[in-house]
Amino acid sequence: MRTPAMLAIAAATAVSAALLGPARADTTLTVATAGDQNMVDYVNQYLGPKFEKAHPGVHVRAIGTGPGDAGSLAIEQKLMAESKSGTPTWDLDVVVIHQRGAAQMVPEDLLAKYRDQVSTSKLVTSPKANNALGTDVAGYVLPMFDSQVAIAYNPAMVKDPPRSFAALTEWVKKNPKQFGYNGIKGGMAGIGFVMGWVQAYGGLGARLDAGPYDAADKGKIDDALASLKAFNRDATITPGNAGTPDMLGRGEIAMGAVWADMFYTWQADGRLPPELKLVLPSPGLPGQPMYYAIPEKAAHQQLAREFIELATSPEVQAEGIVKRFNWYPGIDAQYVQAKLDPKIWNHLFVDITPQDLKADAKPFPISPYFTTILNEYERVVAN
Amino acid sequence: MSASSPTSAPAIERDLWGLLLLAPALALLIGLFAIPAVYSVLGALTGKAGGPSLEHFRTAIGLYGWDIVFTAWLVCLSVAVIALLAILIAGYLTLGANRLAVRALAWLYRWPLFVPMICAAQMMRGFLAKNGMLNNALVASGALSPTTTTSLLDWRGILITFVWKQFPFVTLLLAGAMASLDRNMIEAARDLGAGRLRVLFGIVLPLVRAPLLVGCVLTFVTLMSVLSVPVMLTADSPTMITVDMAYRINTFGDYGTANALGVISYLMTMLAAWVYLREATRERR
Repeated sequence: MRTPAMLAIAAATAVSAALLGPARADTTLTVATAGDQNMVDYVNQYLGPKFEKAHPGVHVRAIGTGPGDAGSLAIEQKLMAESKSGTPTWDLDVVVIHQRGAAQMVPEDLLAKYRDQVSTSKLVTSPKANNALGTDVAGYVLPMFDSQVAIAYNPAMVKDPPRSFAALTEWVKKNPKQFGYNGIKGGMAGIGFVMGWVQAYGGLGARLDAGPYDAADKGKIDDALASLKAFNRDATITPGNAGTPDMLGRGEIAMGAVWADMFYTWQADGRLPPELKLVLPSPGLPGQPMYYAIPEKAAHQQLAREFIELATSPEVQAEGIVKRFNWYPGIDAQYVQAKLDPKIWNHLFVDITPQDLKADAKPFPISPYFTTILNEYERVVAN
Repeated sequence: MSASSPTSAPAIERDLWGLLLLAPALALLIGLFAIPAVYSVLGALTGKAGGPSLEHFRTAIGLYGWDIVFTAWLVCLSVAVIALLAILIAGYLTLGANRLAVRALAWLYRWPLFVPMICAAQMMRGFLAKNGMLNNALVASGALSPTTTTSLLDWRGILITFVWKQFPFVTLLLAGAMASLDRNMIEAARDLGAGRLRVLFGIVLPLVRAPLLVGCVLTFVTLMSVLSVPVMLTADSPTMITVDMAYRINTFGDYGTANALGVISYLMTMLAAWVYLREATRERR
């Protein structure tokens, strides 16, 4: 328990401490990334060495600020502290942030409008590159990758996977405790499932992710969540994003809400049986990209743009994002598909086809709905 | 300062040295505990508009009322089970007749002391799951069938982890206190025909009430602050308020509600401290 000021100081100290490493090269490009350890691994093991090879004398240093929105919040607090201190250049050159982080940092003038100066920006077609949870972020961000919440299932126990929330509800009634998701406090997969539920039963339509926000919708959200409370009686609440595939792997549940990239990575590592599959029920579940952004007063603006240009090039998106880390590409898929072995490409799109993604991959709701749904979940479902 | 010579130079010098030696510890206490605690209380009582307000407490109790009750109940239950186990084990270590069993028990019971709480949680996650080690062993032994197994990854999992992790600490305190008792009293009671349980609860336990209480209060305070175990073992509701505090900060940056929950947590631990102080004062009288 700390005050915002104390936490800001602690976050700034932690990031600063990480920055005080020994000088190794002429120039050090500092990349701070929110998200799980795989994000830091991606920069340290793959992207950083590739960039250093093309830029002799430049050293890329990656700093992980932690999973979830808290990781983006730590970056925001570091940049805000530097902004308030009036220092001419800031320590971080490239930041990798979630949608909520971008939605917060753009209005706070913490990010540079760099997109037009990066040649690969014309390869980006996703609307998520312009809009983050209802905030206009066009020009300030480029998607690193996209990921998707989906339902993983064991075909041996689920012969006919549910393709809609109504079918899922029916299935859960007939198979109590065999479906799992991780509530709202254990990570974004569970939150994604709850948002999908409200999308299916809240009757808010496109307003949920496009706005405008209407406070009077709280009643509709409560009704949808009341039906989720009834659903939960026959569901299993799993411990965390990884808890759901954990239980699937042990055969304790037959179906569960997971991040698609985590599912494929675990399968590739042998932590999940190869026969497990994914399905994306209608009217859809949300997904979210991670964004590359450049702080407004980054010390190495030009190098930062070149770094992002490399990171969003079709070759790197194919080899690094799709092949090695099982994410969906951040740039338009057509440019990436051409660079990949069809077998690898198809692997990612066999269970959930590009058509499924087009129809049922939703963005997360805009910030005010997102917050209302989480708070009402606590009041209606958890209490 | 000496009462007989209040202004003598050596006495003042001695006091100065004493204060200097105390200063680092005092500075740490003020800097790392007192100031953040004051900020937390102020943060909890300051509304979004900047003025004094109870709005964060209203949110905390409105959304997490059950979690507050659940936390108090689960921690009290854990402390009670830990105290009972500690009494029985420390009692056997003091009164047990089989030397080999006493030695083996003395060697074994301390192990969980050296396991960090987060590792204990991770171990329990694999041990208590529906198809975890415990149920697999019970199924293999014929005590359960695969269809009748249930996951213990809910409040029971938290209770089991808390008890497993903390009972050695209370046992250690209690066994030490029991070992320092005058053996003649125990021998006399045994000679007069009192059974071991009678000696334990009638003679030994009343004499070690104070260390038992210290162990229980410290355990209560420790368990109130554990985040890793409820986070890793269950995402179900109700949950412990440490999870709610982390969630309010990580998801919403809502320090106000987190601070209000923290103040409620302080009040609960202060209650435990008050019970301890009252007992300690009564003992001195």
